[in-house]
Amino acid sequence: MDLWQLLLTLALAGSNDAFSGSEDSSGKPKFTKCRSPELETFSCHWTDGVHHGLKHPGSVQLFYIRRSTQEWTQEWKECPDYVSAGENSCYFNSSYTSIWIPYCIKLTSNGGTVDQKCFSVEEIVQPDPPIGLNWTLLNISLTGIHADIQVRWEPPPNADVQKGWIVLEYELQYKEVNETQWKMMDPVLSTSVPVYSLRLDKEYEVRVRSRQRNSEKYGEFSEVLYVTLPQTSLFACEEDFQLPWFLIIIFGLFGLMVMLFVFVFSKQQRIKMLILPPVPVPKIKGIDPDLLKEGKLEEVNTILAIHDNYKPEFYNDDSWVEFIELDIDDPDEKAEGSDTDRLLSNDHQKSLNILGAKDDDSGRTSCYEPDILETDFNASDVCDGTSEVAQPQRLKGEADLVCLDQKNQNNSLYPDASPATQQPSVVLAEESKPRPCLVVGTESTHQAAHTQLSNPSSLANIDFYAQVSDITPAGSVVLSPGQKNKAGISQCDVHPELVSLCQANFIMDNAYFCEADAKKCIAVVPHVEIESHVEPSFNQEDIYITAESLTTTAGRSGTAERAPDAELPVPDYTSIHIVQCPQGLILNATALPLPDKEFLSSCGYVSTDQLNKLMP
Amino acid sequence: MITFDNLSGIDHLTVAGALSVASLPICPGGAVNCQVSLRDLFDRAVILSHYIHNLSSEMFNEFDKRYAQGRGFITKAINSCHTSSLSTPEDKEQAQQIHHEDLLNLVLRVLRSWNDPLYHLVAEVRGMQEAPDAILSRAIEIEEQNKRLLEGMEKIVGQVHPGIRENEVYSVWSGLPSLQMADEDSRLFAFYNLLHCLRRDSHKIDNYLKLLKCRIIYDSNC
Repeated sequence: MDLWQLLLTLALAGSNDAFSGSEDSSGKPKFTKCRSPELETFSCHWTDGVHHGLKHPGSVQLFYIRRSTQEWTQEWKECPDYVSAGENSCYFNSSYTSIWIPYCIKLTSNGGTVDQKCFSVEEIVQPDPPIGLNWTLLNISLTGIHADIQVRWEPPPNADVQKGWIVLEYELQYKEVNETQWKMMDPVLSTSVPVYSLRLDKEYEVRVRSRQRNSEKYGEFSEVLYVTLPQTSLFACEEDFQLPWFLIIIFGLFGLMVMLFVFVFSKQQRIKMLILPPVPVPKIKGIDPDLLKEGKLEEVNTILAIHDNYKPEFYNDDSWVEFIELDIDDPDEKAEGSDTDRLLSNDHQKSLNILGAKDDDSGRTSCYEPDILETDFNASDVCDGTSEVAQPQRLKGEADLVCLDQKNQNNSLYPDASPATQQPSVVLAEESKPRPCLVVGTESTHQAAHTQLSNPSSLANIDFYAQVSDITPAGSVVLSPGQKNKAGISQCDVHPELVSLCQANFIMDNAYFCEADAKKCIAVVPHVEIESHVEPSFNQEDIYITAESLTTTAGRSGTAERAPDAELPVPDYTSIHIVQCPQGLILNATALPLPDKEFLSSCGYVSTDQLNKLMP
Repeated sequence: MITFDNLSGIDHLTVAGALSVASLPICPGGAVNCQVSLRDLFDRAVILSHYIHNLSSEMFNEFDKRYAQGRGFITKAINSCHTSSLSTPEDKEQAQQIHHEDLLNLVLRVLRSWNDPLYHLVAEVRGMQEAPDAILSRAIEIEEQNKRLLEGMEKIVGQVHPGIRENEVYSVWSGLPSLQMADEDSRLFAFYNLLHCLRRDSHKIDNYLKLLKCRIIYDSNC
């Protein structure tokens, strides 16, 4: 209970204090403002913190002290005038006022100081409001809507501006009667100022206030001046002239559309070209785009070949003759003029050289590998090396050389194939004097047969024309598969024994066989058959014979066999005919019957075109 | 009419003051017998004094806001200024009674008395920790303008009261040690005092010159 009583008392006391505090912030008299209106007098006001009627009034006193000539008068003097400035105020007239002198005032209540303040008079200057506001009409706008006025006033009477003792600046504010926000103008030093652009149909209020220059505090506002502008009923103008934007836009669009249509559909091509220039399309001189569309690549090639710096991608039959290079160390070989000559020459040495291909694995992909050959001869991988090509040769071992009646002395052909020539084409030898070579023919046929027998599947892939993709240095021609070897199939059946015999040797379809093997196979074949196949042997079927085989049949000069240039796709096929020994080329036995003439030079390569010409 | 807008920034002040001063005609090339009219001299002087008072007010307000809050300087800062020894008129009656030549001389004395304090004020404010640029820039400007005003006043005196040259009297300022005190509170109070006195004296000079201008040029009818 005691605790509750204590709390209650404290609460009451607190509320009392709060109550009294809210009235006058702690219940004590306090200075509110000291102000000098003209820099000559000043007055101070305070709040009477005492409840009216509750206490004795007048117990509050103001005392002041000021410093004069560096010495504080130690006495506090009492306020000289409590009345002039109103209640709870003290007025200091000019005799008590010194400018630029520090003052301190204090408020006492019942002897106790309740408030104290120090200041200088120049710091508390707040002028009185200006008086005598009036306005005059300056002009009216041409539209009769706006007008300018000039507002004048007088400075506050107690400010001695004439002598320059105080300099005032003024701020004017105006607004429409029914508005709430005053518009302020910049302070001016003069006592008149123009106000522009007031609307004639509105009423305005104007007021002015002043402050000492360099001070921050403004004095009170003057009385409000009401500006009633003359109503002009003469002009019934619109509110505002507005451009007929809508009409302008409509007409503009219409005009643009008209112009657009005129240009677009105009017959005048010139204008059309100017407005809408045609888009350039890609075009090559001399080439009809239709050619490309129809796929006539030959014509395109021809045309393109005309252009400078054009390297015919496709096999150009005519270029075979020129482009075969022998990659042989033998200087004699190189000394020869053209590859064709080499191919067709009766230089046995060379042929031997060619045929005696080294059995070194130069790393080039074998074009003679059956798996490779069966696949498309692509540029990079295939026919890079004759090593694999050589492998079957190796398998045959020295039997190849035996065929040549020589050992593998010169395997120069093989490894030198690839870099020498970049042309996949095998230039078949021009017409030379093919000596009949029965063996050749036999070989060819049988080889064809064996080829067919051994690799029926591969044969199936061989078309009428086989594309020679490369020529090994050994003289073998690497062909790309893809054509059926029709003629050879029939032969397969005849000689199964040969198949078994030859199969091991004939690993590839368009392979080149060692003539020894060929001979083995061929020997079994009856002559008749051989002969019967002789003709087809000259057909341009795909029987590709190795260089060795070629050399056995004919002393070929170095065929420009080289590793097939895998880079160049060879769409066209060359058929190699073993025309004659020793310089004949073994050509496809399954080829179409060729005229039995010496259309091939010695073991040279005949281009497909040539073969075609030769054929009936 | 030359108006000073609400001068808030030092740049504004500089521009306004410079422009307003520059707009007045000047003796070309400093000719010996250049006789700028007294009216122009007074106009320029009043502009300068007004400008200086603005700067010093702002500088004082800046200092008060930054350093003096809560330190109770105001009640203590009723120290005397070093120029109090100069018997300057303290109200309008006294100012009207004093002869304008004497008043001019008084103005000169006050201006001279502030040469030294302003110089040291700039030096000490620079050396202050985190020297506030608002205060420093204004101090520098006031120092320079004070010199110009002094020259102008001497010209005016030469025109108004030619021939009589009084000894250069001025009040000596001895407040430098207090500005360099180690105790920060004391030092700041010394600064506060100095700036307070500067504001007061600049207002006094401004007032005197306006009074003199109205009296001399416009014959008490501004």
